Amino acid sequence: MSRWSHWLPLVALVPVVGGALVPVLFRRHGRAAYAWTVVVAASTTLVAVMLMQRLSVEGPFSYAAGGWLAPYGIELRFDRIAAITIPFSLIAGLAMVFSRAYAERAVDPARVPFYYALLLINLGGVNGFLITGDLFNLFVFVEIFSVSAYALVATARGPVPGLAALQYLLFGAVSSLLVLFAVGVVFAHTGSLNLEDAAGRMDFSKPMPVALALGGFAIGFAVKAALFPVHLWLPDAHAAAPAPVSAILSALVVKTGVVGMLRTFELFAGAEAMLSTLFTLLIWLGALGALGGAVMAFVQRDIKLMLAYSTVTNIGYVFIGLGLANLNAAGGAGVHVVNHAVIKTTLFLAVGAVIHRTGLRDIDDLRGLSRRMPLTAFALAFGLMALAGIPPTAGFVGKWQIALGALEAGRPGLMAVVIIGGVLVLAYGIRVINAMYFRAPASVRVLGADEAPASMWLPVLILAAGCLALGLAGRMTVDFAMMAMRSVYPP
Amino acid sequence: MTVEVFDLRPVLAPLVSFACAGLVLLLGSSARWRAAGSLAAAGIKFAIVWSMLPGSLAGQVYGFTFGEILPGLSIEFRVDALGLFFALVSSTLWVMTTLYALAYMRGSHSLRRFFGFFALCVSTTVGIAFAGNLFTLFVFYELLALFTYPLLIHGEDLAARRAGRKYLVYTLMGGGLILAGLVLLQFTAGTLSLAEAGILDPATDRRVLLTLFVLLVAGFGVKAAIMPLHAWLPAAMVAPTPVSALLHAVAAVKAGSFGLLRVIYNIFGVDLLGELGYGVWLSALAGFTIIAASLVALRQERLKARLAWSTVSQLSYITLAATLLAPAAALAAVLHIANQAFAKITMFFVAGAIERSTGRTGISELSGIGWRMPWTMTAFTVAALSFMGVPLLAGFVTKWYLALGALRSGYGGYVALLAVSGLLNAAYWLPIVYRAFFRPGDDEMSEAREAPWMLLGPILVCTGYVLLLGIGAQAPAMPFSLAESAARFAFGLEVPP
Repeated sequence: MSRWSHWLPLVALVPVVGGALVPVLFRRHGRAAYAWTVVVAASTTLVAVMLMQRLSVEGPFSYAAGGWLAPYGIELRFDRIAAITIPFSLIAGLAMVFSRAYAERAVDPARVPFYYALLLINLGGVNGFLITGDLFNLFVFVEIFSVSAYALVATARGPVPGLAALQYLLFGAVSSLLVLFAVGVVFAHTGSLNLEDAAGRMDFSKPMPVALALGGFAIGFAVKAALFPVHLWLPDAHAAAPAPVSAILSALVVKTGVVGMLRTFELFAGAEAMLSTLFTLLIWLGALGALGGAVMAFVQRDIKLMLAYSTVTNIGYVFIGLGLANLNAAGGAGVHVVNHAVIKTTLFLAVGAVIHRTGLRDIDDLRGLSRRMPLTAFALAFGLMALAGIPPTAGFVGKWQIALGALEAGRPGLMAVVIIGGVLVLAYGIRVINAMYFRAPASVRVLGADEAPASMWLPVLILAAGCLALGLAGRMTVDFAMMAMRSVYPP
Repeated sequence: MTVEVFDLRPVLAPLVSFACAGLVLLLGSSARWRAAGSLAAAGIKFAIVWSMLPGSLAGQVYGFTFGEILPGLSIEFRVDALGLFFALVSSTLWVMTTLYALAYMRGSHSLRRFFGFFALCVSTTVGIAFAGNLFTLFVFYELLALFTYPLLIHGEDLAARRAGRKYLVYTLMGGGLILAGLVLLQFTAGTLSLAEAGILDPATDRRVLLTLFVLLVAGFGVKAAIMPLHAWLPAAMVAPTPVSALLHAVAAVKAGSFGLLRVIYNIFGVDLLGELGYGVWLSALAGFTIIAASLVALRQERLKARLAWSTVSQLSYITLAATLLAPAAALAAVLHIANQAFAKITMFFVAGAIERSTGRTGISELSGIGWRMPWTMTAFTVAALSFMGVPLLAGFVTKWYLALGALRSGYGGYVALLAVSGLLNAAYWLPIVYRAFFRPGDDEMSEAREAPWMLLGPILVCTGYVLLLGIGAQAPAMPFSLAESAARFAFGLEVPP
């Protein structure tokens, strides 16, 4: 036991407790709530980095809550998949920094402390979900980040966000129930809730409970991940939410569905026939979602809706990678989970800065924006290039690996899907760039706009730099992701 | 025979214009600083690239490798004979075009953007030339496609936007095809290196090889304007003349041809490609393009449109020469990169000078202009004669070696095609010369003046090169021997072809 031994739960506890304290301490002090939130997010990131340091020395490690050892006690586990807590905490932290000026305008002042509280609790839920080693807590954390996400969507002003949140809640509640149902089936079937323990006790001679559990997890997490065709909640929720919330939903919350599947697949390693059917299904749905999402994004006029549909596309890529079930593709999918998170946060926050200054979100209205908001426009343009996967940006890494994996699996058609999707993304990205850079301003509000405050452009530019850095460091991230995927996809 | 040398210059050459672009984009609101910066960068880059010529002629290959950015994919620079040849042409012409553009663009809007992206384009062109593997080449190739776009739609009007959209649709498709080819190549060959004369294993499944060939050739063929992938090029003539001159006569389109040469000589290799026989189809397509584009050019009334169609036709000379798979033809393919570039850029410069001096763009309006702008139109005449293949001019050298290669590889029919193409060139260039010198001009024409020296200087220098490449190709320190060593490398020969 090293002196770091009690740090593991902190990565989830710090933000959850910190978040719960916000309304208690800073009910009437929005600015103080902001400062507190940023400090808590920074501490969470720091904890995650320390855990990562230990991981690189010792390899994956566990923590037994209250000293009760697994499989009887609650087990928390930090492995290479859980290392995503670092980029996720960082992204969430930057979105919180961004919120300073944004929340004052977009959120009802009385709700601002709650807004920050929910952001932190959401981060805690996601982090807890990533490190949990048993099925029941998996469900608990699913509910923590889901419920806080519904509420976050509703914090925006106006009637639409409320409805979008309700729609999100209906889809989300069903998916959470399916997960709970699957957890129950596994418990009844194996008598254990510890993931590793239950995986060892699964009896594959009885196909019914195995199929029910697998189906419950797969559909439940597919809804969370917004895999086509159960993505219907996503566009409205992402477009209606305040921009930092859209960023967090797209970057973090949606990705939990992916991680959820990865975690629970370990239970079904023995049911090869079922898994391979599921993988085939995931590939098809992923491909349909990738192309369908790209086409839908292409026809949108509202830039936030466009970005929301692009999330559907990218989730499609990730599932193609997971379904191909070889290390290249799965590693690519793993990298894309993080890289897409960084890119999409850049984009949503940049769009948020535009909306904050001009109130405009129609692509045609953004004409001439580069003259008034050069930094934001540049970050937005660069993010769109990265989203399209122009090498050597972050978006290229995952797509290249997934395309290679598609060839390795003997399915060149999927390589075509990935490339066509990229070309479509570039096509709609250029539409936005055209409007911002090569058209004369059409709206008075653009002419009167100033560059966003530093609390906005600084996080946006940091993230934009991340879009490039992650592309250049592709070798490192791919190697790491491939190692992480070894536990799920034995070579 | 070749010695690999670690050197920083292959990186510095693209970096100079990249830094220049950064400075211009960030600080270039003062016209004087912008001009000084652009010229200085052009000059420095020119010096860097030329300083590698002696070493390269002596058989040295300069290289620089950055780490892998993805497993198996590294950013790698490597200056071999073919790459240096292309870089020499584009960096020489950058100096000329910068001078020309400074005069031509005076008074236009968004000049900061214009000169910034201009430098970026040149930076990426040299990146393409010095790329040590196909991935690096692809990265710069895609960036070139994107950086050309703001220049192309500089006018920001409806016509420019339409042309821009067309250009993007074509190049994005092309980029997608190349990317697919890259993934397949990495998967089959396990490397994307351009350092060998062929990296593919001849035992590979034929279907895979065919797919690879189609993907890569169609991808690069978009920029090289092989019919039916050419339609963006005539549309792109809405761009300001210096852009048409440097990018749509030289840098951007030649990047496509250069990519094709790389695919043929360094990826497939002449032996494998000869065995597979795919080249025959591509040369037939190129032959068709040469004739068909010339026929369309005949019917163009706007001077720049005629130039564009002529470019389509001339680019296919390179494709044709490369696919004949004979050493002499390979020499023609490499040489034509320079020969066509200098002659065509002269013509574009002339078209721009005429437009600046008289405001005229139609061919029928040019009666009598030869006496009002004698230097300009003489330069035009020299370039036109070069395209027709008159001996002692650059174009003749290409045709000579191309015909030689066609005969050696057993496709004598292409010699006849070259003759027809020469006649067609005469048919669409000579009427302009005739009109300019032998038809009386209207009243307005008598007021026209010779172009200012900043426009005329580059025109005359480029014309000088056309003569020099024709007469003194074999002179010492001319890139001819570079082209020779490129051809020798591709065919594994010890003696000059």
